[in-house]
Amino acid sequence: MSNPIRKMRNIFRLALTDYFYEWQMSSCFVLALAAVLAPMMILFALKFGIIGSMMEQLIEDPRNREIRPVGSGHYDSEWFNAVRAKSEVAFVIPRTRSLAATMQLKSDRAHRIIPTELIPTAAGEPLFHKSVRIPVGLNQIVLSESAANKLKVKVGDQIDGSLNRRHNGTNERVHVKLTVVGITHLAAFARDGAFAPLDLVIATEDFLDGRAVQALGWQGDSPLEGERSFPGFRLYASSIDYVAGLRDGLTASGIEARTRAADIDIVQTMERQLSAVFWFVAVIGLTGFSFSLGANLWANVDRKKKELSVLRLVGFRTSDIVWFPVLQALLTGILGWLVASLIYLGVETSINRMLLTQVEDGNPVCRLLPLHFEIALAFTVGAAVLAAALGGYRAARIQPSDGLREI
Amino acid sequence: MMTRMAEGIEFRLTVPSLQISLGEKIALIGHSGCGKSTLLDILAMILRPTGAGAFRFRPEKEAAPIDVAKAWSQKDLNFMGDLRKHRIGYVMQTGGLLSYLTVRDNINLSRQLLGMPDDGTVEELAKNLGIERHLDKRPELLSTGERQRVAIGRALAHHPSIVIADEPTASLDPIAARKIMALFVELVEEMQITVIIASHDWKHIKKLGLRRLAHRTSQNSAGTITETKVTG
Repeated sequence: MSNPIRKMRNIFRLALTDYFYEWQMSSCFVLALAAVLAPMMILFALKFGIIGSMMEQLIEDPRNREIRPVGSGHYDSEWFNAVRAKSEVAFVIPRTRSLAATMQLKSDRAHRIIPTELIPTAAGEPLFHKSVRIPVGLNQIVLSESAANKLKVKVGDQIDGSLNRRHNGTNERVHVKLTVVGITHLAAFARDGAFAPLDLVIATEDFLDGRAVQALGWQGDSPLEGERSFPGFRLYASSIDYVAGLRDGLTASGIEARTRAADIDIVQTMERQLSAVFWFVAVIGLTGFSFSLGANLWANVDRKKKELSVLRLVGFRTSDIVWFPVLQALLTGILGWLVASLIYLGVETSINRMLLTQVEDGNPVCRLLPLHFEIALAFTVGAAVLAAALGGYRAARIQPSDGLREI
Repeated sequence: MMTRMAEGIEFRLTVPSLQISLGEKIALIGHSGCGKSTLLDILAMILRPTGAGAFRFRPEKEAAPIDVAKAWSQKDLNFMGDLRKHRIGYVMQTGGLLSYLTVRDNINLSRQLLGMPDDGTVEELAKNLGIERHLDKRPELLSTGERQRVAIGRALAHHPSIVIADEPTASLDPIAARKIMALFVELVEEMQITVIIASHDWKHIKKLGLRRLAHRTSQNSAGTITETKVTG
C-alpha cells in the first residue's frame, strides 16, 4: 500500500470516526441543513409543478399554436405552398367560406338532423389525437365528440350527409354516404363539427354555389374556371414560441390574424418571475446555511484545537488537516440532503393527495425530476465544502506545539 | 539560537553547546519563562531556531547524522514533518488523546500512520503501563493518570529515537505523578529511547537518574535583553 493512499485512508477513518462519535453534534448540523433545504425543495417543486403543468397545457393544447385570420382574403395555392414551406409552420390548409361549409348529418339511431360545420383536414391535423384516423376521399369524416353524441354514432358507423340549395328556382337536395373514421375529444373541438378532407369541403361549397360536382354525381352549373382561391385558412405553428413571429409576419404582409399569444406571454412571464423569487429565496437560504455551517466548523476548530494539534504532532501535514472539516462537511451535506429529500417526498405525497381533485389530467402540483435532486445535492455539498474550507483554513494554522502544552 | 521579542524586551535563548547521546535521559528543570519550552520545541524539531551554528541529529547508532539546521534553513517543512513522524514521540501535559478513538487506536495512531503492522506492540505496552483492561474503552472513561499512561504508550508505540515530554505529570497528584514518571523512565530505558523531560520537580527526577541540563539566565544592564544559556 503506497504512502498517500494509506495516509488518505487514515484521514478518512479518523474524520469519520470523529464525526460519528460526536453524533449528537453531527445530527444537529444535518438537521439544520435539512431544515433549510427541505422547504426550498418544496417551494421549487410547487413552482415547477404548477408552472410546469401550465406550460405543458399551453404546449400540448394545439389551439395555442393556432393563428386565425380575421375577415376573409384571397389565398391561392402559391400562397399556401409558400407558407407550408416555412419551418415554423406545422400545418396549414385552405378554408372555404364558412357559410358554404355546413352539412346536414343524419344517422339511423337519432331522429334529428344535425347541421354540422365542415372543417377541412389533412394528414398532420394538429387537433387530432395520434390514434384518430385522418379521413381521405369524399366519403370519410371525423366527428367532434359533441356531434357524435347527438348522432349517437361510434367509429365505423355510416351516416348520411345532405346538402340543400335553391337552384334555378327549385329546391335541390343531394346526399352522400359518409363513414365515421374517427371521433375527436371534446377539448380539441367543442362545437358540432365534422373534419372532412379538403375535396369534400370544396365539393360542398361548389354544390351550394350552384355548380356541379362530377365526382359525386351532383348536377349543376359548369365548374369554376381558372385557379381557385380561398377566403381563409387554418394555420398552426410548430411550437408556441413561433406563434407571435408568424402572426407578425402575416400582419406585415397585410393579413390581420389572432392568436393566443397573450396567454402564452402571461404564463411565460409568470414562470420567469416565480423563478426569480425562488432563486432569491434559495440564495438567501443556502448562504445562511453556509455561514452557519462555516461558523460552526470555525468554532469546532477551536474546540478541537488540541486534538488537531495532536494529529499535527504525530505527523499529519497542514494539507492533511484541512481534509478533516472538509470531509465532515461533505458528510453533513450528503446526509442533510438525504434527510431533506425524505422530508420533501413525504410532503410531496400529502400535497398532491390534498390537491388531487383540483388538478387537471392528473398532473401533480408538486413534483421534482431526478435531475432536481441531483442539482440540490450539488449545491448543498458545494456550499458545505465552501464553508468547511473556512474551518479548514483555520485548522491549517494550528501549530503542532499547541498540543504540547496547555494554552 | 532563538530570539523573541515581547513588550520591548528581547528574550534570547542560546545553546553554545549541547550533546545528547543515544539512550540518554535528560531533564530540563526550570520555572516557566526561562525558555524551557522554547528549547523543548527546538529539540522536538517543531520550532525553527532563529540561527543555528550546527544542529545534527543521529537517529540510530551508526546512522549518518541528519543536518537539521540545513533542513530548517531550506524550509523543508515536509522533511521535518516526516522526521518527526518517524523519529520523535511526544507526551503532552494533559490529554492529547483523540476522544473519538479507543485507547488501543490512540496508542496505535503513529504506528497506523506509518503503516506499521499489528504485532502485539500495543498490547504489550498497555500491559507494561497497566492499562490493558482499558484498551477498548474511550479515553473519557479513564482517570487523568490513566490517560497520561495512554499518552506515554502512544509516544513510544512506534519506537521513536527520542521522546519529548513537557511536564507530563504536572496535572496529576504528587503520588500518581511520581509513579507514572518512574514507569515512563523505566520504559524508555528498557526500549533504549532517548528521553527529554521538562519538569519542575527536580527532587524526584534526580532519583530516576536523569541528567540535568545547566542553564543560566542573565539580563543586560539596560534590562532590554534577557538571555538564557543552556549547556550540557
